[in-house]
Amino acid sequence: MKPRAHTLLPTLLAVAVLVGGLAAPALAQKPVKIGVLTPLSPPGDAAAGQFIVRGAKMAMEDVNNRGGVLGGRKIELVAEDDSGTPEKGAAGFRKLATQDQVSAVVGQFHSSVAAAAQVLAEQYQIPLFLTQASAKGLTEKHLNYTFRTHVIDPDRCVLWTKWVKERGFKRVALITENTDYGTGLVEETKKAFASMLQGVELKTVIFDRAVVDLTPQMLDIKNWKPDAILNGGVGTPVYLIIKQAYDVGLYPAAPMLVSYDVPVRPEYWKTLGEKGNWISFVVYYHPTMKLPARGEAFRKRYIEQFKEDPIYGAFNGYTQVAMIADAINLAKSDKGEDVAKALLANKFEGWNATISFSRGEGPYWQQWSPPMLVVQFTRPEMPFADVKIHYPPEVKTGDWMPATK
Amino acid sequence: MDAVLVSQYLLSGLVIGVLYSLMALGITFIYSVMKMINWGMGEFFMIGSYVQYALIVTLLGPSRWWLAVPIAMASVFLLGLVVQRWLLRPMFVGGIERRDEYATVVTIAMMVLFRNLAIVLGGPNQYAPPDYAKPVQLITLPISGNRFVALIGTVVLLGLFFVVIRRTWIGRALRGAAQNRVGIQTAGVDVLRLDMVAFGVGVALAAGAGALLAPDFLVYPENGAISTFKGFEIIVIGGLGSIAGSIVAGVLLGVIEALGSVYISAAYKDLYGFLLLIGLLVFRPTGLFGERERTA
Repeated sequence: MKPRAHTLLPTLLAVAVLVGGLAAPALAQKPVKIGVLTPLSPPGDAAAGQFIVRGAKMAMEDVNNRGGVLGGRKIELVAEDDSGTPEKGAAGFRKLATQDQVSAVVGQFHSSVAAAAQVLAEQYQIPLFLTQASAKGLTEKHLNYTFRTHVIDPDRCVLWTKWVKERGFKRVALITENTDYGTGLVEETKKAFASMLQGVELKTVIFDRAVVDLTPQMLDIKNWKPDAILNGGVGTPVYLIIKQAYDVGLYPAAPMLVSYDVPVRPEYWKTLGEKGNWISFVVYYHPTMKLPARGEAFRKRYIEQFKEDPIYGAFNGYTQVAMIADAINLAKSDKGEDVAKALLANKFEGWNATISFSRGEGPYWQQWSPPMLVVQFTRPEMPFADVKIHYPPEVKTGDWMPATK
Repeated sequence: MDAVLVSQYLLSGLVIGVLYSLMALGITFIYSVMKMINWGMGEFFMIGSYVQYALIVTLLGPSRWWLAVPIAMASVFLLGLVVQRWLLRPMFVGGIERRDEYATVVTIAMMVLFRNLAIVLGGPNQYAPPDYAKPVQLITLPISGNRFVALIGTVVLLGLFFVVIRRTWIGRALRGAAQNRVGIQTAGVDVLRLDMVAFGVGVALAAGAGALLAPDFLVYPENGAISTFKGFEIIVIGGLGSIAGSIVAGVLLGVIEALGSVYISAAYKDLYGFLLLIGLLVFRPTGLFGERERTA
């Protein structure tokens, strides 16, 4: 029997209304996904990844408690472990882009992994945030979907070169791993020494990241009689360098500067005990910093939740997720392409300052850098809040001290 | 060339080589008796280091680290018995045609399982038990007390192993099984039970290495990977199944790596061992102490 037009039309209309009515709230409730691609197992710096995830989760909770994005849609985080290896990073990014259909990805810590993931970010047109990956090449490529709110290595190397100059050291050894980060540090430190220091010798040692016995290298450096050592390890190698330098009598007789903020983590003293004392290290956050509203609220809630001071990686993970949520609202879209445009066109509240992304020269492309400070432990188990900033001079709160027996 | 410095490099290579050889000994011992490669050996090293750390931090305290070492080895020995009984024995009694593939699949699966269990239970971070002893001077080499203790511990374990293998009934039975599994069965020895003992002893040696090196090489889920890697290199250099070969090759590898990493480049430390291995295989395919298989 052929249906009549006057009965078919109302039926179709009713079905459309019913389907539309059911689907509309479902669409409204569909969460906006943000990927966290970060090292959560060795050989990556898994502790760093955990701090980044903590911060990202807290941002998700804050955004959702404020009503979500795009008029009520919740933010959902999808965490993927890149293990600090490029192949796992690439696989993780592909999964986040295709299976989870995320709007953006944060959490990149290892430069080698970020280099693999950023190629895919361009391909899938999804913004990729470098949370603690600092190789300059990552932003020097001038890619459209790579954003960084972390320092770049040339700046780090200039900082430690100035630190060496201020201390008056004449022979400096740099020991680092054979990764993009490590080899970048060697290259940039050589440039900085050549341009800023006269008559200062630099010895560089690059070791395989998987190696656990660095005794021959420590003996070699000790025999060279350095005035100071620059420790360019990441994750477990940082500890192995300190421990084994101590064991051969190289450190703390020769002072050591660690390239990033790993000593502020609770695991530092548990792993090194008294051998960890007298270390100087680069930080991007200090508990005595006065923070704007977003950073202060995060710090307070973090201390309440974890009973310890927040770590920079957590601050940065938090800021990046909060910033992406802001960008999604400004773009009125959760598409990666629109989010990237909104990120470039607007200013955002960061954990310690207003963040904007400009397309500058060289590595300063879609790049925003936090401050860098040099601090030092002068007693075992020293709380981070008690640690004095001894460089740069304009924010100095105490003096650098040579080790005493 | 500074003679003192060269002697330091040589000694440092010698020490690490002896430590590597303990791991290699475990691998080659299991291979000799069971004719299978345990790809999960590094995970038993890792478990040994975790048990050592847990015992020192929670039960025994830093001063009784020496008691923790045999306990860690005994626990891993028991774990080895269980693994052999339930996962590996079917290889010999279940009518499995492709034994090598079976052993490879099972031990690799075990490696992934144990490594992930360590991440779930202990977290991905590294730990270190307190130092076992104060730094000492070994002839010209300043060395950590931990490494010195590990060296002495390794020598003691190697000595004990030799005594057991050479002087006891079980040792003779194990050597018999290594020479001819069928022959020893005709003499009334339960070879499946011997397999359990061999696997347990082999993994306990790896656990001993993990426990002794815990303060020096740290405790984390992948800490056994490098030792396994070196262990395999050593057994090929020394000759598959040769106990003396494991020790000599371990020392040789340690010294070559130490010298190469200082005089050539530390970035290619692993390469020097492989060059040694390739060079040796060209001239002596059975390794330093290996023998050609006799077939009927």
